[in-house]
Amino acid sequence: MSIKTVKSTITGNTYQYIDNGDPKSGTAKNVYFSPDRKYVVAIFKEKQDHNQKERLKKITTDYLSRIKNNEGGNYYLDEIYRWPTDIIEDNGQTGIIVPIYNSKFFFNKGYANQDLIKGEEKNGKWFASASFRNKLFPLNLDQSELGKWLNYFQICVNLSRGVKKMHQMGLSHSDLSYNNVLVDPLTGSACMIDLDGLVVPGVFQAEVIGTADFIAPEVLASKHLGKTDPNRKLPNRLTDLHALACLIYMYLLHRHPLKGGKVHDLDTEKDDLLSMGEKALFVEHPTNKINKIKLNQIKKWDKYWADTDKLPYTITGPYLSKLFEKAFIDGLHNPMQRPTADEWEIALLKTTDLMQQCLNPLCDQKWYVFDNSNTPKCPFCDTKHKGTLPVLDFYYQFKPTVWKPENHRLMVYNNQYLFQWHVDRNITRNEKLSAAQKVPVGYFTFHNNKWVFVNQKLTSLKDLTEDKEIAIGEMLEITDNKKILLSKEEGGRVILITLANK
Amino acid sequence: MRRLPVYFLLDTSGSMYGEPIQALNNALSGMINALRSDPQALDSLWISIITFDREVNEICPLTELAMFQLPEISCPQSGPTHTGKALEILYEKVQVDIIKSTPSQKGDWKPLFFLFTDGKPNDLLVYRNMIPKIKSLNFGAIICCAAGALADDSLLKELTNDVVHLDNADTTTLKQFFKWVSETIEQGSKSQGTGESVALPPPPSEITLVI
Ligand SMILES: Nc1ncnc2c1ncn2[C@@H]1O[C@H](COP(=O)(O)OP(=O)(O)OP(=O)(O)O)[C@@H](O)[C@H]1O
Repeated sequence: MSIKTVKSTITGNTYQYIDNGDPKSGTAKNVYFSPDRKYVVAIFKEKQDHNQKERLKKITTDYLSRIKNNEGGNYYLDEIYRWPTDIIEDNGQTGIIVPIYNSKFFFNKGYANQDLIKGEEKNGKWFASASFRNKLFPLNLDQSELGKWLNYFQICVNLSRGVKKMHQMGLSHSDLSYNNVLVDPLTGSACMIDLDGLVVPGVFQAEVIGTADFIAPEVLASKHLGKTDPNRKLPNRLTDLHALACLIYMYLLHRHPLKGGKVHDLDTEKDDLLSMGEKALFVEHPTNKINKIKLNQIKKWDKYWADTDKLPYTITGPYLSKLFEKAFIDGLHNPMQRPTADEWEIALLKTTDLMQQCLNPLCDQKWYVFDNSNTPKCPFCDTKHKGTLPVLDFYYQFKPTVWKPENHRLMVYNNQYLFQWHVDRNITRNEKLSAAQKVPVGYFTFHNNKWVFVNQKLTSLKDLTEDKEIAIGEMLEITDNKKILLSKEEGGRVILITLANK
Repeated sequence: MRRLPVYFLLDTSGSMYGEPIQALNNALSGMINALRSDPQALDSLWISIITFDREVNEICPLTELAMFQLPEISCPQSGPTHTGKALEILYEKVQVDIIKSTPSQKGDWKPLFFLFTDGKPNDLLVYRNMIPKIKSLNFGAIICCAAGALADDSLLKELTNDVVHLDNADTTTLKQFFKWVSETIEQGSKSQGTGESVALPPPPSEITLVI
């Protein structure tokens, strides 16, 4: 074992790594850890040509500083990406410096019944697949690793932001899959790794077409054509959006959106190429049902989540349902129609405002999306909600005296917080929020058999129904049909209350 | 949904007695553990192990990886290598095990077949007879591993182009070989190149691939 020192070819900085003769090894790189375990030195096994080095240089200089110097820079670099920060040369071999993975992305326990994967990385596949969540599966993941349904929405928000940022910078990932994303359901985190292969426009074309399950239909359908054929489709921003939609669908519903029962060819390989490519069809297509999942042909471990009648995509709520339709019906063979990463982020966040905690303490998912009915129940364990449920609909001022709906709703649960982005139309809930903007402005609670809102920070809160100002530190009662003005400032919203489940 | 069946035919003839069989057991259990730590492999892999010496034994019928229990493999102190007879059993098993595609049901992936031997077939006639039949089964890949000086590469080449020769059957070599085997099995779930797909990942440098 020895400590080696290597030098950057860009900055002249030096880095150290421990060489114990047995590096972590992937297909392309050998990976060594720094003595302080803050970063790794990943050395390419193959010699990198001029173009490859140029790409690495762009990624570690231009693009890195663009992320760093923009709003939310720290969030992206600490949380969302393991972005390469420098290039080194070592005995003629090229390497990159990458911040080390956060410890939350290693299994604390792993399998429920044995230690085989304890300490291993939390590759996204563990949490996309249904088997590992099934307690009867011999190698099921421990309950302490699985998180709650709400956490999977957070994972998807983080992932969407990661893709959004790349696309804003003009980069496309081109090989988005669960292998390149680490996931931690406990904290709702997702982290994109292996970013040295990004497609930098003008400098580098895609070298891979992607990973099975996530390759866009147009890419598969044209895979037999030569690379210079004008009809050949290679990965780009729009194919990333297909992969993103698949990932979100899989993290929330633990099944694949295109893998249904339809057989297109008796040859397995051909069949697969057709059903993921040219003939791809959403398993939950509302009118064309030929690719519906056949439950009797599904592994017994996967049946619970494969049941699209019991758990249709619509359990993800109205905003996401619309996007799944856009991605897998309208946009499946029409890439321009696919929802952007930005749209996914917004829809996911709005959906978390619709979520309720399941009252059944044994429910595996613990949270569900309000189904807009008067008698809500958890789709996972069928437990009905007990007691009234306040539903808040947001309105914005279109012109004096005319208020229009925002198509945004907030479900209230006990001890739920209200935030600036609910109050003020000019504040968007995204990674750019300042710490001050993330402080709640008040909370809802069920107190003496009544729903109340306690005002902590709103300076011009007014109960319009009772024509009464509510000062900071005071509370107002939440009753059916009440209208409340959250702020008199420009952009301040009005909420209309409906009490469901009366 | 689709299963990926993988068949291992393992030589347990007399010459494997002693250290080699220990090394084989070791390497196999290492490989199974590696596969059982891989969520993709756990999703689709089914494994069968057939041993052959004078007798042919299906010691593990085709079983889902998560349910798979690896038994200790033993071998007699002496005796012939009935590779041909093993191929006969394999031929029967594959025909029964594999779920074929029908217009209403998706079938299995093309199965993979790994043959490990340290000698040459003593039932050469049967062996040669079985070769076209085995080829007709349409395996996704047939990979033969010949370990030690006595293994005959050229006979194995009649069965497949993919013959890997190991200089000996010690623990380190076998471990490396079976690591490569698991990488080969796992390959389908990795990123795919833009060009033609390559059938096998490069074998570790310590192994000579006879092509
Ligand atoms: N930043 C990091 N922090 C900690 N471990 C790392 C880091 N980067 C890589 N590793 C480890 O090194 C291994 C190989 O790295 P990586 O996957 O990036 O290499 P690769 O050759 O591009 O592999 P592949 O493309 O096959 O996934 C990883 O599986 C992981 O265990």
